[in-house]
Amino acid sequence: MIPNSKLDPRTKLAMVMSLSSMGILMNDIGIMLGIFCITIIILKLLKVSLLKILIKLKRILYMVVVLVIIQSIFVKGGNPILELGSLTVISDLGLQKSAAFLLRIGIVIASASILTTASYRDIVQGLVQWKMPYEIAFMVSVAIRFLPTFMEEFRDASVALQLRGVDFEKIPFRKKLTVYSYLFFPVVSNAILKAQELSIAMEARAFRAYPFRTSYLVLKMKPLDYIITTVSFITAVTGITWYYI
Amino acid sequence: MEAVVVSHLSFRYPGKEKYVLEDINLLLEEGEITALMGMSGSGKSTLCRCISGIIPHVYKGDIKGIVEIFGKNILEMTLPEIATKVGSVFQNPETQLFSPTVEDELAFGPENLCIEREEIGRRISEALRLVNMEDYRYSNPNQLSGGQKQLIAIASVLTLQPQVLICDEIMSQIDKAGKKLLKNVLNSLKRQGKTILLIDHDHKNLDISDKTLILKDNRISEH
Repeated sequence: MIPNSKLDPRTKLAMVMSLSSMGILMNDIGIMLGIFCITIIILKLLKVSLLKILIKLKRILYMVVVLVIIQSIFVKGGNPILELGSLTVISDLGLQKSAAFLLRIGIVIASASILTTASYRDIVQGLVQWKMPYEIAFMVSVAIRFLPTFMEEFRDASVALQLRGVDFEKIPFRKKLTVYSYLFFPVVSNAILKAQELSIAMEARAFRAYPFRTSYLVLKMKPLDYIITTVSFITAVTGITWYYI
Repeated sequence: MEAVVVSHLSFRYPGKEKYVLEDINLLLEEGEITALMGMSGSGKSTLCRCISGIIPHVYKGDIKGIVEIFGKNILEMTLPEIATKVGSVFQNPETQLFSPTVEDELAFGPENLCIEREEIGRRISEALRLVNMEDYRYSNPNQLSGGQKQLIAIASVLTLQPQVLICDEIMSQIDKAGKKLLKNVLNSLKRQGKTILLIDHDHKNLDISDKTLILKDNRISEH
């Protein structure tokens, strides 16, 4: 078992970058299946619950399945498997393409799940120590911090509308757009006010006082981190180069 | 000694015809808790921003008069310089706490001032001790109660070691127990020589003050 809490977030970022790059740049189904299996093994070693990820991604998964079916129907060429008169509904090439699409999405989602084992503060610090400008890393951190707050506000606004008798499921599509605008404006105006308050609080604590800043939290990579990071990058670069040559 | 002197201060936000503050005079004695009461929209928060240098250093507008911190005009001071003299705590703790742990939150200010790591660690411990929140060092600020969040907001300002603390309606969203906690901390900060400006519209929140002022119709008078 890899002691995931001991791994540096930059090591995890390196694994995610390598796996997803290979998944996106290599089109061979066999190779992609291999990358997907390696990703799942890494997740298992890091004790990530696959079931929890699937539950979280339930809504996206429905969309992925629909896209897979659409792709298998509309890809032209290949040998027909299912025909309606002269129209090819499903071909072997269509199935192959949709399987590749499914695997690619699977690799990206599964590899990104590696990051769920690190706190976002550590990830942001990792990016800063990789010389990402602090302002950008801070923006990412603030966005992650306030996302649940905005979701909650959106839910509250939606409940307020429902309590006034608006049934989102029964209203026609055109009216739905108007109703969503009623939801959208208070949430956005609130977000702007919150951003203003936040910026005042930051400025009052000398944000961007100098071009540089110190960091109380400092991440230190251990030998295992160096080994995993090196293996990840070498595998990705070698694999992609070998595939294209 | 006077910690803060505001003389003939007038301020108008850009694009607005009316002055929010007009010819305001205020004096904060060192080591005292001064309470400032006023109705909503009377300009209390704008006055806070002027004393803490947010106006005119961040928010521009038409400003007249003088604001001095320990004898120095804020117009001649940089924002980092002001931040080490005047700390501001605001009404809504939600928008003042943006870090995943209390420790990170408290480190934010000193990190901006490029203070050494060891010194930051010492300041974090000291600020947490002052607000009696040492046990929450590694907690997520989001999971604290309203009163505790405000204590962390105060502690995050204290790590900059300001001599003046401006509390802008910090008790307005806090329950009775939280208010008691905050008042105890403010009293203990006063004993350490901090100058505190406590702003609120509810006089029940101001019973720890040495003197109470009222901001009404652009005039500050003693209660």
